[in-house]
Amino acid sequence: MTGSRSKSIVIWTFVITALVMLSAPTIVVLGASFTAGNIITFPPEGLSLKWYGAIAQASDLRQAFVRSLIVASICTIVSIPVGTLAGIALAKYRVRFARSIQIYLLLPFTIPLIGSGIGMMLVFGNMGVLGSLWPVGIACCVINLPFMIWAVTASASNLSPDLELAAANCGAPPLQRFLYITLPAVLPGVITGSLLMFILALNEFLVSLLLVDARSVTLPVQIYNSIRSIITPDLAAISVVFIASAAIAIAVLDRLVGLDIFLKSK
Amino acid sequence: MPAASAERRVSRESIAVSVRDVGMAFGDVHAVRNASFDLPKGKFLTILGPSGSGKTTLLRMIAGFDAPTSGEIFINNSPVSAVPPHRRAIGMVFQKLALFPHMTAAENVAFPLKMRRHDARAIPEKVERYLQLVRLGGYGGRRINELSGGQQQRVAIARALVFEPDLLLLDEPLAALDRKLREEMQLEFRRIQKELGVTTINVTHDQREALVVSDEVIVMEGGRIQQKAEPVHAYRSPANTFVANFIGVTNFIEGVVAARDGALVSVAAHGRTLTGVAVGDAPATGGACAGAVRAEQIRIAPRADALDRLDTVLAGTVADAIFEGERIVYEVRVPHLGDQLVRVFDHDPVNHLQFSPGDSVCLGWNARDMHVFKK
Ligand SMILES: Nc1ncnc2c1ncn2[C@@H]1O[C@H](COP(=O)(O)OP(=O)(O)OP(=O)(O)O)[C@@H](O)[C@H]1O
Ligand SMILES: [Mg+2]
Repeated sequence: MTGSRSKSIVIWTFVITALVMLSAPTIVVLGASFTAGNIITFPPEGLSLKWYGAIAQASDLRQAFVRSLIVASICTIVSIPVGTLAGIALAKYRVRFARSIQIYLLLPFTIPLIGSGIGMMLVFGNMGVLGSLWPVGIACCVINLPFMIWAVTASASNLSPDLELAAANCGAPPLQRFLYITLPAVLPGVITGSLLMFILALNEFLVSLLLVDARSVTLPVQIYNSIRSIITPDLAAISVVFIASAAIAIAVLDRLVGLDIFLKSK
Repeated sequence: MPAASAERRVSRESIAVSVRDVGMAFGDVHAVRNASFDLPKGKFLTILGPSGSGKTTLLRMIAGFDAPTSGEIFINNSPVSAVPPHRRAIGMVFQKLALFPHMTAAENVAFPLKMRRHDARAIPEKVERYLQLVRLGGYGGRRINELSGGQQQRVAIARALVFEPDLLLLDEPLAALDRKLREEMQLEFRRIQKELGVTTINVTHDQREALVVSDEVIVMEGGRIQQKAEPVHAYRSPANTFVANFIGVTNFIEGVVAARDGALVSVAAHGRTLTGVAVGDAPATGGACAGAVRAEQIRIAPRADALDRLDTVLAGTVADAIFEGERIVYEVRVPHLGDQLVRVFDHDPVNHLQFSPGDSVCLGWNARDMHVFKK
């Protein structure tokens, strides 16, 4: 009896510690954003929404946020067809060198982002396209694509090969089999992957930093630039907006496909 | 036109499926070898065989999922090797059903009609009619995971039948069900098949199912067709020891041929001579052979005088008595057969005559009930 009680005390201590550690930054930022004072502090001095008002007025922040949304959208739109097809191919067909391809897909995680960032800076620099937003979107897509592919592969490998044979038996030619059977079956993975890609691209800092110039700063870069001058509570407020966007994306994901597939996906 | 050739054409036209010397090799593994058979229209054929005997492979070739490595398959007298699966008018119920999980029951049943471009206005009515046929009227709106195993099974049947295929293929769709539901579904298959008259090929390793539902049975082993016959014929006159052993409970007595008299064969085994009937190309005198006697053809009695009208009578000791409800299975050790255990069914409803392990008993059977096969 006492044994199991002390065990559950230990477990709960761990769980609570973990929760506090994970949520502390969010809570601090959230608290600081509602301050009525002029410097960023926690706990806040009085409560007000004035810094939210300030960021709504600050056109540079607003524009940077819009740019981030554009970058995230480009990244997602590119990753959907590429990631879906690659994921299905890897899961379903006996692709030659499938193993090597899977290992290759791990590479973006093993190469420091600064390395791939510089690589892409050189490529896009040579092409003379630095300064526009789409190279940033493409870059985010390239470095995060494994997430998309993994999400799709996870759904596709649950798909029984019998389903496509059954569809063929029902009279469906190859294209229809893909559209009516394979695609709907991997759709949860595609949705999960797209939202993940969107959030990751929205938050992407390092690669953006290397690829943007003064006319095309994205929000994380803009925040970073601001920190270098003075740290005011408007940064906390904009961070909260950021966190809220991610939270909305996760809520959407939960509504569309349920979080368990996301948690289960490899 | 001469009458004979007209007649031949009529009989050819009544063949739904014709399999000619079909073989399938996966590298070194010969999953199917030299399979040939004809199936007349409207018949229910069951392919029976142990695991790995090539049943699914044969079915997949007929459905068009795999191309035979040799031979040719004809459906309605046309060769089909060049016809992809979606152009063959074949309905199939998969072993694991393979219902589309993101569609409702009705959408599943409607899918073949949509793909085969049936008149869109007629589809809902037709779907409902087939759902009713499988006794699922009103269940069309359910998602697949909201249906029980037996109901899913019936959706799969409706999906396979709804476009009125020339041929229905069933790959052990009942294997996963519990016994009661399985027996119900077997009769259901039979009813629907009779009602629609669709030619059907069913695969199973359940011999009871094969005997109950089929017009014809094919027994396969090691990729080869061992026998094709009507169920009664396959049971009563198995073509070889494999079939005799696979269908029913059979005792084999090994020996050599001592003498032959027409179909009658005397088998010398363990110093005794037993008489039986030769099957197939029976062995010559002196050749090794096996006598096969079904457990239900053997009488069991406390003393030999109760069995004096039978041709072969042997004494033994009960080694085990297994109560199976409607019958008792005795395993009797017979010293005259080298202490072989002989299995005997007993269902004497009057006496409830029961023996216990250790009892001395006598076994007897008729010469015509022992089939003698070449070894
Ligand atoms: N794609 C394949 N590649 C290699 N060998 C295969 C393949 N498919 C089947 N085989 C082999 O062919 C043989 C026959 O297989 P098949 O699936 O037809 O057996 P089955 O009679 O349907 O058995 P079960 O009753 O277990 O379903 C087996 O030895 C199997 O291992
Ligand atoms: Mg099989």
